[in-house]
Amino acid sequence: MIPDTLTRSLAEICGPGGVIVDEDRLLVYESDALTAYRHRPGAVVLPRTTAEVQGAVTAIARHGLPIVPRGAGTGLSGGAVALDGAVVVGTARMNRILEIDAANRRAVLQPGVINAELSAAARPHGLYYAPDPSSQTACTIGGNVAENSGGPHCLKYGVTSRYVTGLTVVLPDGSVAKLGGRGREAPGYDLVGLFVGSEGCFGIATEIEVGLLPLPEGVRTLLGIFDRIEDAGRAVSDIVSAGLLPAAMEIIDGPTIRAVEDSVFAAGYPTDAEAALVIEFDGLEAGLDGETARAAEFCRRAGAREVRRARDEAERMALWKGRKKAFGAMGRIAPDLLVQDATVPRTTLPAILKGISEIGKRYDLVVANVFHAGDGNLHPNILFDRRDEDELERVERASKEIMQLCVDSGGTITGEHGVGLDKKHHMPLIYGAAELDAMWGVRRVFDPSGVMNPGKVLPEETAPGWPGHGEGRGAAEGEGAGVAEPAVAAMAPP
Amino acid sequence: MSTATAPAAVAQLLPGNRVLTGAAASEWSGGRAVEAVLFPTDTDEVRALVREANETGTDLLPAGNGSWLDAGGWTGVRGGVVVSTARLDTLFHYEPADLTLTAGAGLGWRKLAAVLEPNGQWLPWDAPGAAAGTLGGAVACGGSGPLSARYGAIRDNVLGLEVVTGDGRLLRIGGRVVKNVAGYDLVRLFTGSRGSLGVITRVSVRLFPRPEADMTMVFEGGVERGLEVARAVRTTSLPVAAAEMDIRGGGASGRETRVVVRVLGSREEAEEVCSRLAAEIGAAPAGTMRGGESDVFHRRRSVWEERSPVVVRLAALPDQVAVTMRWAREVARRTRGEIAADVLGGVVRVKGSPADDGTAELAAVLMRARRDVEAVGGTMTLSRAPQAVAATAGWAGGGGGALVQRIKSLFDPGSVLLSRCP
Repeated sequence: MIPDTLTRSLAEICGPGGVIVDEDRLLVYESDALTAYRHRPGAVVLPRTTAEVQGAVTAIARHGLPIVPRGAGTGLSGGAVALDGAVVVGTARMNRILEIDAANRRAVLQPGVINAELSAAARPHGLYYAPDPSSQTACTIGGNVAENSGGPHCLKYGVTSRYVTGLTVVLPDGSVAKLGGRGREAPGYDLVGLFVGSEGCFGIATEIEVGLLPLPEGVRTLLGIFDRIEDAGRAVSDIVSAGLLPAAMEIIDGPTIRAVEDSVFAAGYPTDAEAALVIEFDGLEAGLDGETARAAEFCRRAGAREVRRARDEAERMALWKGRKKAFGAMGRIAPDLLVQDATVPRTTLPAILKGISEIGKRYDLVVANVFHAGDGNLHPNILFDRRDEDELERVERASKEIMQLCVDSGGTITGEHGVGLDKKHHMPLIYGAAELDAMWGVRRVFDPSGVMNPGKVLPEETAPGWPGHGEGRGAAEGEGAGVAEPAVAAMAPP
Repeated sequence: MSTATAPAAVAQLLPGNRVLTGAAASEWSGGRAVEAVLFPTDTDEVRALVREANETGTDLLPAGNGSWLDAGGWTGVRGGVVVSTARLDTLFHYEPADLTLTAGAGLGWRKLAAVLEPNGQWLPWDAPGAAAGTLGGAVACGGSGPLSARYGAIRDNVLGLEVVTGDGRLLRIGGRVVKNVAGYDLVRLFTGSRGSLGVITRVSVRLFPRPEADMTMVFEGGVERGLEVARAVRTTSLPVAAAEMDIRGGGASGRETRVVVRVLGSREEAEEVCSRLAAEIGAAPAGTMRGGESDVFHRRRSVWEERSPVVVRLAALPDQVAVTMRWAREVARRTRGEIAADVLGGVVRVKGSPADDGTAELAAVLMRARRDVEAVGGTMTLSRAPQAVAATAGWAGGGGGALVQRIKSLFDPGSVLLSRCP
């Protein structure tokens, strides 16, 4: 619970309908889509404008409470979880598209606009918004900015940060900064690029300018069915080596295929296959058939038992539905799911996939893989039941081994889900003290008092000034470190 | 404060054959009066130089091949010591099937192209001067050229960096995979920071397959016709890779404008785009270049700005081209200049040389240009200009504000790195 005086000021700023303090209603906000981490916020405030965000941030900070920005809560790293009774600033009521500027292929919108709604609004102008996270029918653009979200079509078109050209942000001290804006060219430091992917630690974006693309004229979708997942990985690598640039290349492994086919999302994949590879090309009609035929040939050569081509839009949608709803379908098999998100160099895919499967076998766990193969962005999901303590321990050990395997191959710990709460303790796997120190420094540039989404992204034991931190560069830098940091050990393990 | 001996203390950390002083140093730096040019060969040497500079209060100017050192506008009044990364040119990692490459910052463009070409790959960076410079120099400048409409700007294609910060810390940020959201995006912060935060020593980049077909159509006519063609190219839904409009001789003769449209893709697709685009424009191109001819044509264009004493960059949303173009033509008229406008990106560049007695008038025109372009939300940057002109018109708009200053002090607390940024 938060002090009554704060409740009253927030209600004055955002209207009585804009503040939630009721315990039952707060339950909705206790986790994001990674439900292993649950903490009920002290309150939720839902501003409608930049000025209301400013007011809310200032009022919360005055009471010394931490602030957690939140979009639709579809994140997969615990980034929107409110630790220590923090107040959630939700963008649900900031859902207006302010401008679709078709002549310049750009749009300006509030952060609560849903990803798919932006593309729908741009469609009459022959345009669309390229980054398409699997949650695109629910997730918000503000959340996409915070996480630098990807999606299947980022293979060809790039991730969120390529499309964000300007931001209006409310900083933790309540001031407003305009970063970039009105097109791609902005002299000076790329503060827009720095802000994108900062996971709610630098401030709250209240207006977002993005670039739009012309809708492609044609689309072709292929499905390769494989008896061995390594062969599907090899097909991906061969297609890219040959100079083809599909819009998307996605692998769905055997356990996932069976989960999907058993569910309401059944897409018609053969249930005895060990991998399905979805390949999509888009662009001008001329040339699409040739590229698709070449990709099909690479699949066959890599050992595909069957290559299907979606004959119409309905078949295409079915193929994608199976891929996009895979996470939901897996929920049917086991009560709990540990979602990983490492990215590895594409050429290491066959070896890594084999390695993951071996780790799964060694720990007697079901590991289901559904991922952006073209980018080398893996999502090995471990299925388990948290009530089984022995299994829980095996899950933790297997998950660490998988992460280490990916990092050792030259990869990274997260390709698109973000670090959040879930992966902050893995950060030292890829960054040393100097890099983490630099990230702390940049965080403090935006948030000197440490009120913005504390406890996320950076492990607090690496903070300059934190007891035991070896690389401290003077006491001044360390002042205030850890003030708002929660006790991590108390976190429920996934 | 620097002393007379401070630069010497930094320079003596390297053997004499990797140090230029006196006239040789100035010549290497395009005429800028620098005290020395140093050529470290590994990251440890760069660190040692930066640390010594902090100890002795010596100003450092990070550079690659030094292409932009003559451009003017560096902060600091003292001469400074150039640290060139040109000899950090090792190719550390290149896996063609991953479409990624890691190399020392000094890897030159020609050497890079020679490595990539046999594998049918390229780094489609056509920012001004990139083809004459180094990988690290291009990242530090962080510019964009017309191809960024298709491939993204340089900042969209840098995967990882190794940098020595202004206070001598070694950072390895990002990685060598194409999707990476682990931690804050310091790679984007350092890309385009023009050496003001640190010396870039190693770079990992994303490569692209070289498209099967490379075609360039050239449309010619007067300025009004050129603007019409440009509008058609800007609003087409056809996949055009890049498009520029050139105006020569101030634009008054009626035949001085050409629109250059580049199309990349499979052979079938590229031919189709060209024929459909010509139909949309309502005219056949004056000429069409294919394959190597098209490639060489654009490679030459990427050093278009070289050696011009004045280069101005006016940027606004593409549909504000009337404003940017009007001022570009005013500037061109006073500098006997030429114009190259990025039709898809909305960036209009002018290069030229003012008459000896024309600098005051040019500065006045530039001030009015800045006011008008900024009024429509655009920007004006002087890429290269005489000091007298820049002192009046300003190098770039805006000051950056408190965030920028705090970032600068975070990485270069002793302010040893000279730069035009922030």
